[in-house]
Amino acid sequence: MNEIVTVYSAEMMRRLRSRAFILGLAIGALAIGVMIQFPNFMQSIYTNHTNRIVLAGDPALLPRAKALLEKDFKVVATSSSAATPTANDLKAHRASAYFILAATPSGLKVTAYARDPGDVSASQLRRLLLPLSIESAARISAHRAESIVRIPVRIHPISSKFASAQQSNAARGIAYILLLLLYLLIIINSQIIMSSVAEEKTSRIAELLIASVSPAALLAGKIAASISLALIQLGVWVAVAAFAGGHGSVAASGSGLGTSSPALSLAGVSASELASFLVFFLLGSLQMSTLFASFGSLINRTEDLGSLSGPLIMPVLVAFFIALSALAVPRSMLVVVASFVPLLSPFVMFARIVVSTVPLWQVAIAIAINLIAIWGIAVLGGRVYRVGMLLYGRPPSLKQVWRAMRA
Amino acid sequence: MLIAEHLQKVFGNVYAVRDVSFDIAPGSTFGLLGPNGAGKTTIMRMILGIFTPDGGRISWNDRPIDARMRRIFGYLPEERGLYGKMKVRDQIAYFGRLHGLVEPEITRRTSRWIERLGLAEYAARTCAELSKGNQQKVQIACAAVHEPQLLVLDEPFSGLDPVNADTLNATLDELKRGGTTLVLSSHEMWQMEHLCDRFCIITGGENRASGTLAQMRAAWPTRVIRVAPPSAALRAILDAVPGARPVAGENGCLDYEVAAGTPLPQILRSLVAADAVTRFEAIEPSLHDIYIHTIGEPKP
Repeated sequence: MNEIVTVYSAEMMRRLRSRAFILGLAIGALAIGVMIQFPNFMQSIYTNHTNRIVLAGDPALLPRAKALLEKDFKVVATSSSAATPTANDLKAHRASAYFILAATPSGLKVTAYARDPGDVSASQLRRLLLPLSIESAARISAHRAESIVRIPVRIHPISSKFASAQQSNAARGIAYILLLLLYLLIIINSQIIMSSVAEEKTSRIAELLIASVSPAALLAGKIAASISLALIQLGVWVAVAAFAGGHGSVAASGSGLGTSSPALSLAGVSASELASFLVFFLLGSLQMSTLFASFGSLINRTEDLGSLSGPLIMPVLVAFFIALSALAVPRSMLVVVASFVPLLSPFVMFARIVVSTVPLWQVAIAIAINLIAIWGIAVLGGRVYRVGMLLYGRPPSLKQVWRAMRA
Repeated sequence: MLIAEHLQKVFGNVYAVRDVSFDIAPGSTFGLLGPNGAGKTTIMRMILGIFTPDGGRISWNDRPIDARMRRIFGYLPEERGLYGKMKVRDQIAYFGRLHGLVEPEITRRTSRWIERLGLAEYAARTCAELSKGNQQKVQIACAAVHEPQLLVLDEPFSGLDPVNADTLNATLDELKRGGTTLVLSSHEMWQMEHLCDRFCIITGGENRASGTLAQMRAAWPTRVIRVAPPSAALRAILDAVPGARPVAGENGCLDYEVAAGTPLPQILRSLVAADAVTRFEAIEPSLHDIYIHTIGEPKP
């Protein structure tokens, strides 16, 4: 145990001081901050460029139309002129579109002039101005028109874990962020542990280490350090996400042109989701770190890191994509089966848990399967590691690796 | 006492070590000799418990080698390296800690080894900044900082300049005086002859000769006698010795190889009677001679 603690402490110190870890931490934090603020940023750009309009036409319609359109637009000027505007008219008001309204016997007629026709959505205008059109055609009060348009709709969940579509969408947004975090943490730290083992092998310190400490203790100390570092990264990144999310994240109700954006904030993560995240992160990390570390011991030149880690990343990539599809179809057969397959399970089962109601026995079976897989990978990986650390010269053949695993 | 009995190690279809036995007394220095690929490193790894023998047994003070022995054994492998970005002092202390040392003993012993090997001015530098020779000294400190009961050194002199080799020699002498049992392998025969009490010559994974230098010399089949001046009278006496043959020797001397049991006093008397002998020397075979002869011998 003392040996593991010694290796763990040394590994932690080395990695915490390493440029790779510090840079990874900073770049990850920056990426997360940007990712969370990006929709907000894009929305503000979109709003500034496409949201400003000039309203013109029948003066009797303008006050009411302005009130309705201001749900999505900023009306920067009104005009009673129905003349076709020029580009200069738009430029003068820094507006992106010019809407001319006219009343007809069949309702409202809207003529839009836009710098870019793509900035104007006919259906959006129809939806916003529908009460005014009914009001104008049927000659009824504004209040009556509003009540006709506002059709009462109630959505009752039957089997979903969410009370509303808004909650369901928010959960998918959160699950997406957490899956991305899970993927990044597992991939980055597996690569780091592989580099660390390869560094010890290529710098030829491996044999001195193996003579001083048992390979199992060495591997266990390194994996424990790798997971601790990942937890530090997670803590920092979650703090950044919480900070960025708390400063102007996009509201779930939507804004701008009426499109609804998920709230990219971790504030909505429940304690049980956080607990499952940590459990499946540990299960996934233990499997991948052991796998990467044991295969890292087969490397004789650091140039071979990429070629060896490529095939090992494949299961993580596959798991990540199945987990993404699980966000949309958590009950599909592929998703359910994958949630019990070692290496895939930490991603897929976690996604299922966040977006659907997974029976507890299924979660328990998945955890048990993962624990068995960790034990199996540790036993076989430990053998590869023990032999690999002392193998120099040509890269070992698959036959040699197989022999080492059976030894 | 380290006892190795009928050690065997097989990798696939290749016998790396085949039926090798030896024992090493506490506090003695044991030299493992042999050409490259002879199986020396495999034997060392079995002594340290890195490899498990496929046959035979190995024990230290009557206890089989297990993981706990790592704490009291030290090893300087042939393939050696360091953490390039770690400072010299931290590196030595880390290996002390791995071998179970705790503060303040770690600091005390680390400082002692830094001083002993002349590394004081480099103690705060990273290992990557050091010359190869100084890196090798750090590696030796890492292997010995916990003051092991048994220290195994695989080719410790390779890559060292004469000054650093002398420092290492002095360090090994000091460890030996302190009671550390040493196991060495080296191709530097004169250093091995100086340092080791007993030897084992391995080739092809097999033990070809073992024992003290005196025992191996005693088993040596011939001796060389050196005589001066190289006069015709003395040459005639030497040529008449049964089984004697001239061998290349020093200028101004006659070197003859004779059978080990040849009565030298009788030869000396004949030589003195024949001419004015200025030099008569019976040259014992060196470790180098024994090594070359042993590994060149066909397999028994």
